Amino acid sequence: MKTNLITNTLTINLTLLVVLLPLLAFVINFLLPKNQFKWAGLVANLAIFFSLIFSAIIFSRVWESGHILHQRMVWFTIGDTNVYAGLLLNNLSVLMLLLVNLIALPVHIYSTAYMKGDENYNRYFAYLSFFCFSMLALVVVDNLVLFYGFWELVGFTSYLLIGFWFNKEKAVKANKKAFIMNRIGDIGLLTAIIIIFTQFHTFDIDLLFSSKGLVVQTILKNGFWGVLPASYQYLACAGIFMAVFAKSAQFPLHTWLPDAMEGPTSVSALIHAATMVAAGVFLLGRVYPFFITPELDILAIVGCFTAFMAATIALTQNDLKRILAYSTISQLGYMVMAMGVGAYSQSLFHLVTHAFFKCLLFLVAGIVIHHMQHIKEEKQLDIDPQNIQNMGGLSKQLPLVFLVAIIGGLALIGFPFTSGFLSKDSILVQTASWSWGKGGAFYLVPVISIITTLFTAFYVTRLVVKVFMGKSKLDIDIEHQHTTKINLAYTIPLLFLAICSLFPIWSLIPFSYLNSWLIKGFSLYPVGEGNIWLPIIISLLSTIFVIFAYLLYNKSIKNIFPQQGFFYKLSYHEWYFDVYYQKLIVTPILLLANGLFWFDRVIIDGFVNLLAKITIALSKVTAWTDKYIVDGFLNFIVALAEAIANFVRKFQGGKVQYYLFSMLVILLVLFILKTVF
Amino acid sequence: MISLTNYLIVSVALFCIGMYMVLSKHNAIQILIGIELMLNAANLNLVAFGKYDSANNAGQIFTLFTIVMAAATTAVALAIILNVYKQYKTIDPDKIDKLGD
Repeated sequence: MKTNLITNTLTINLTLLVVLLPLLAFVINFLLPKNQFKWAGLVANLAIFFSLIFSAIIFSRVWESGHILHQRMVWFTIGDTNVYAGLLLNNLSVLMLLLVNLIALPVHIYSTAYMKGDENYNRYFAYLSFFCFSMLALVVVDNLVLFYGFWELVGFTSYLLIGFWFNKEKAVKANKKAFIMNRIGDIGLLTAIIIIFTQFHTFDIDLLFSSKGLVVQTILKNGFWGVLPASYQYLACAGIFMAVFAKSAQFPLHTWLPDAMEGPTSVSALIHAATMVAAGVFLLGRVYPFFITPELDILAIVGCFTAFMAATIALTQNDLKRILAYSTISQLGYMVMAMGVGAYSQSLFHLVTHAFFKCLLFLVAGIVIHHMQHIKEEKQLDIDPQNIQNMGGLSKQLPLVFLVAIIGGLALIGFPFTSGFLSKDSILVQTASWSWGKGGAFYLVPVISIITTLFTAFYVTRLVVKVFMGKSKLDIDIEHQHTTKINLAYTIPLLFLAICSLFPIWSLIPFSYLNSWLIKGFSLYPVGEGNIWLPIIISLLSTIFVIFAYLLYNKSIKNIFPQQGFFYKLSYHEWYFDVYYQKLIVTPILLLANGLFWFDRVIIDGFVNLLAKITIALSKVTAWTDKYIVDGFLNFIVALAEAIANFVRKFQGGKVQYYLFSMLVILLVLFILKTVF
Repeated sequence: MISLTNYLIVSVALFCIGMYMVLSKHNAIQILIGIELMLNAANLNLVAFGKYDSANNAGQIFTLFTIVMAAATTAVALAIILNVYKQYKTIDPDKIDKLGD
């Protein structure tokens, strides 16, 4: 047992190292002198590289053994309550630890090329390292207080990185929006943590949410939840949902994610596609036993609706990154829905596979946008380099990028032999069997999610065809080749992620997710029966949609969809969410704020100013009194003394005749006085 | 018959004229003349009151003394004025005020 203990301690120490290495890189990058900025990329890359190696070691130890490593120490004490800080390593956290590092390393490598020449090169890598630190810490901490802290930190780094080019006004607006939206969720999480502490008097995740934890033991009965009324449980649940919906961009708090695409594309790939937005799903995974069945149903319905809504919006968008952003929202919707239908392991499976292929697609988008920017500058065109209507025919110029984009696209659609097929269909199968058990309107959930899959097939094909196939829409001669130099820093991450988007990494049998090592790792939660027919039917339908979209956009058969219809407009304007949020929430709040500002300025400031004016008037009166009464009296005495002195002085003027005259006058006065009295 | 009052009136007039000269003139010699006038007003009084004196002619004799004394003081005063003029090149008493400095 002793050797085992040592290895456990070693594992915990390694975890600390994994978390702290990016923090070290952040500090170093911030302290770099100005002429040494070129080392920033190397520092960050090295840190994340060693983090990855260590996390792989940790993963192999914990995942195979299957037991939970938990180490903690007293952090601070309030009254009789000890609050601990510590690390909790179970299958979920080591999986996330490895995933974050696996995604972060390619993105870091890619960034060295992508951000080359940016004047804030070191700031970029400092923020990126800081994000990695917060995210890695988020997945391994063992109590809700620390969890909340890092939850805030990832939101904050996301804010910093969205607004990385802070001289772009749109970027500033976008990061403000993202930050405020996430704050709404944070308030929910804080509420939930406070309620949970009130109920259980501990913040410890392991004690609370393990399979025999406090949450499982406390059941809702007769309108009471332990000692508290049942409404507290609902409130805490609503708080957690708010946090999840904000962080993972679910309806109704999803509108920040498309705007967040104003940040550098590599940031979008790491934070807004693969890792940070998955934190919401991770939170669901951490506190999963907390939810009761009706709450899970709400989760399923919201997830399903979000997936559907985002997919319909992605159908008509023209901005390359916006399409991918909505696609991310849609896939996150799948994950949340999967949590709701009880497909715990499938949800995490999809989280992991999605991270790879969506990151891949974003990196592709980054290269395409750089390429278009290059053309734009060379030909001095006035075009938006992100608009897919201006692209086309890029497959000849960027053949490798085209190839990996197809792999990523197929994985996103969920085509056989890709990772997406395994994970997405595992969710759909579970959703279908869940709705069998429920009946009624719940049948709509799998139906809508299958329709969403077909939409996904359509918009992915539209994207790939418009960007890479056909002829360039630009009215210029770019035939004399304009091959952007694709260097190793681009190719290695792309190839790595493309390989991870294929089936062999996940399951040796391409049609059976039940055999995937990842699903087996979460054997605690039931997986349900596999079904071979549903995936095949969905794949066939998807294929039809892919071919249809290909014909529509490449062979330019007549577009049968009205471009002005209600549904087109609804989709193109993103379901008018921003418009109505502006009208219903932002404007009234601004009005209220303006009203309060007016109240503050006119009434409160007015009162204060009135007091000030009264004081000034009083002081003026006092000043007058001081000047004319007090000083006046003194001045009068002075003047009197002066006058007397001047008068007396004359008698000493050295004029003989005046002396005589004075003598005469005094004598006369004396005589007169003597005569009168 | 010239009464005592008439003498006294002339004497007062003389005294006042002398006094006025002493106080108002800008020339030391004129002031000296004023002083002489005042002395003479006193002499006149001495002579006028001498008529009622029990001792014979004491008033007249005193007057003779004072006339002699006045001549002597006048000589001294003129000598002083002459020296002052040498020193200050003026005999206006208003301008001779260096002693006060």
